[in-house]
Amino acid sequence: MKKFNFSSLLAKADWLPILGVTVLSIIILSFIAPAFLTRTNLFVMLRILSVTAIVAMAQMIVIGLGQMNLAVGAIGGLVAILFGGMMEVYGISVPLAALIGLLIGIACGFINGALIAFTGINGFIVTLATMSIYTGLNYGITESIPFYHMPEQLIAWYDSYLGPIPNIVFIPLVTATLVALFLFRHPWGRYILAVGGNPAAAELSGISVRKTTLVAHTVSGTLGALAGVVSVARLGTAEPTIGAVWLLPSFAAPVIGGAVLAGGHVSVVGTMIAVVMILLLENGLFIARTNPYYMDFFLGLLILAAVVFNRWRTIKSEKKEAAVVIGEKV
Amino acid sequence: MTTSALKVEKATKKFPGVKALDSVSLDLQPGEIHALLGENGAGKSTLIKIITGVYRPDEGEIQIAGDLVNFTSPQQALAAGIGTVHQERNLIPHYSIAENIMLDRLPTKFGLIDRNYMRQHAKHWMGVLDLHIDPDLPVRRLSVAQMQLVEIAQALSMQSRILLLDEPTASITGNETAILFNLLRRLKDEGVATLFVSHKLEEVFELCDKVTILRDGRNACESVLIKELDKQKIVTHMIGRDEDVSDIGKRKDNLGSTKLELKNVSTARGHHRINLQVKEGEVLGIYGLVGAGRSELAKAIMGAERITGGEIRIDGKPARIKSVQDALQNWRIGYVSENRKEEGLILAHSVAKNTGITIWHRLGKVLSLFTDAMERLEIKPFVEKLNVITPSLEQSVGNLSGGNQQKVSVAKWLAAQVEILIIDEPTVGIDIRTKGYLHRLIWNLAEQGVAVLLISSDMSEMVLLADRVVVMKDMQIVGDLPNNHQYEGMSSQIMHCIHASGSEVGETVEDGVLASQGA
Repeated sequence: MKKFNFSSLLAKADWLPILGVTVLSIIILSFIAPAFLTRTNLFVMLRILSVTAIVAMAQMIVIGLGQMNLAVGAIGGLVAILFGGMMEVYGISVPLAALIGLLIGIACGFINGALIAFTGINGFIVTLATMSIYTGLNYGITESIPFYHMPEQLIAWYDSYLGPIPNIVFIPLVTATLVALFLFRHPWGRYILAVGGNPAAAELSGISVRKTTLVAHTVSGTLGALAGVVSVARLGTAEPTIGAVWLLPSFAAPVIGGAVLAGGHVSVVGTMIAVVMILLLENGLFIARTNPYYMDFFLGLLILAAVVFNRWRTIKSEKKEAAVVIGEKV
Repeated sequence: MTTSALKVEKATKKFPGVKALDSVSLDLQPGEIHALLGENGAGKSTLIKIITGVYRPDEGEIQIAGDLVNFTSPQQALAAGIGTVHQERNLIPHYSIAENIMLDRLPTKFGLIDRNYMRQHAKHWMGVLDLHIDPDLPVRRLSVAQMQLVEIAQALSMQSRILLLDEPTASITGNETAILFNLLRRLKDEGVATLFVSHKLEEVFELCDKVTILRDGRNACESVLIKELDKQKIVTHMIGRDEDVSDIGKRKDNLGSTKLELKNVSTARGHHRINLQVKEGEVLGIYGLVGAGRSELAKAIMGAERITGGEIRIDGKPARIKSVQDALQNWRIGYVSENRKEEGLILAHSVAKNTGITIWHRLGKVLSLFTDAMERLEIKPFVEKLNVITPSLEQSVGNLSGGNQQKVSVAKWLAAQVEILIIDEPTVGIDIRTKGYLHRLIWNLAEQGVAVLLISSDMSEMVLLADRVVVMKDMQIVGDLPNNHQYEGMSSQIMHCIHASGSEVGETVEDGVLASQGA
């Protein structure tokens, strides 16, 4: 019915430029640093990716709604230590502990959403407060001491393969696919982006802005919890500091990936590529033996470069479209 | 005459999808008060924004006192001696009156703000407007009328030679208006040139020397002496009624049973004992001036405003509509907002998404999931039926013309297959061809059995389309008239309903076209 149209793909795939930069970085890195393409190094990167990708998805959904979830990391951290504690202290089985962990994440996200939806208080303030609450609970329970003894079963699962694909590749891919299905093919996902695009119009089109806010934050909390559980599996310990440094990448990846911070537009593929890009930056700096303490400096530069580029492209396309439509004499 | 204080020559301004100004000219002389008139969307505000440096014209030129100027920012226009009161409020709520008046040139002493001097200065200009309140009060504590006066004081305090007033009397009372007018006449004698935008024709005749009228972004007349015009001629210039009222043929008359009925409905917004009925296949017009409560009533029916008394019945059964979602999904009611950019559409989203938004909840099968192709299949017939002119369904609606945007906001309700459709000001700011098209469409919907509630401030549109006209005033219904489609008779009957119920409405022009807000 519909022919493959390359130019329309180009127009739709606003992530192509960052994909180009990413591929280029990979090529350059593999030439200048022989250690880059080794199996060990790739696995190091994939292990980090398995967590960061989920964190980015968690934030991206709330960005799509036009809000922020500052508590993503706090939820991840809280769920991580509760997950670890349940297994170590109470001997609860891995799947059951993981399930309860996710339920806790759902509850945390639901509380965020409910506070925002029913009080009308700005999401930034609400999640700033709950970030502190969830983190405080985490440190209060653990007194900053990790749970060290995670079941072998958990670590074995994390390092296992599903057919030829290692689980650490599988986890972020499945998550991203599910998020994409949810956002673009499920009514609730569409509602989130519609509310992000124009809350008044969405409400008058029969969408409940309240319920949508609730759903978006609940899904975000669930993903935050998933990232916490995967973190424990990755590290082999349930550390209270899990989630403490997620905030910056959680915003950086969606924004570099082309999300509009005011809401209404996000890109799952773009965000995933951006996660890889951030990883390459970290890994590249490490392999190139630069001072690792400069990491934040370069990440900041990357974010700025990406948003300046996106802004420039938006202005350009707006001008072009204006010219086209008027030219047609509609 | 002398050199013009301000001269605009053949100014053109394009926005995505629309030519807001098309070769517009205007000549403002020193010592004259010049009215700028036009319907909503005629281009008045765009013209003012061009003069004040908010926008830059694509073509044409602006001269001030004979010198060509090319403003790139509002600051430059200020520096060139143009003082402006914009239609939107531009005050900083948490700052004091004095700070707001002096904001762009705060006086300093030893490098710090000289609060005493600032207060005195502000007090002087407030006194000129007979506004005697503490200049230290934060602006957010003032009434709307007081805010308006503060803004006028701010413009006056610049002591500009050119004064642009965009609807300065919209929210102030008769007494305050009289003070303002006396002041403007005094300034006129001092040689100040004033450009005055108003929807109240009485004021224009009382105050102004010349008039420029815009229609659809073009000059309907330019810098004409007001003596040469009367009210009827001005209205004709503004709405161009001769070409406007197209013949849309006959309509099949097939009224069904009563679809929607309001019985003694009162709302939290202040509606009182509203009674009305619409049958299947009927077009019920709701006419009224600004503030009559028409859009608010529509939103109450839609479940977006709280109903405090009475009963809504649909198909003869009591209907408790809890939310817009409920109205759409369970009662099949749709609402086309008068405010399509703010409330009707998601401008950055595609035509497909804006149309499909009402049907996503029922598109999917497995786990409610659906694809773009499924969405397209459902909405395409409606987009095509409405003849939406767009390069593709993926085009952002923000890039379509006003008329096509309006078609999209109607299409989404057709896709939802609503049985009751409330259409609020369907043709404001829309070109004549699309207007005729939308008129025909409204009738087609009724022919298919949809119960249509048409809210319009455009009298000719009302007389053309409605089967019956309900007249609203001050949140109540003051008349329910059968429509004989004769303009003269109907318009005077409708206006009679409004006047007979007695109050100050007479100040507004007799032709409701001028009644709705914004431009």
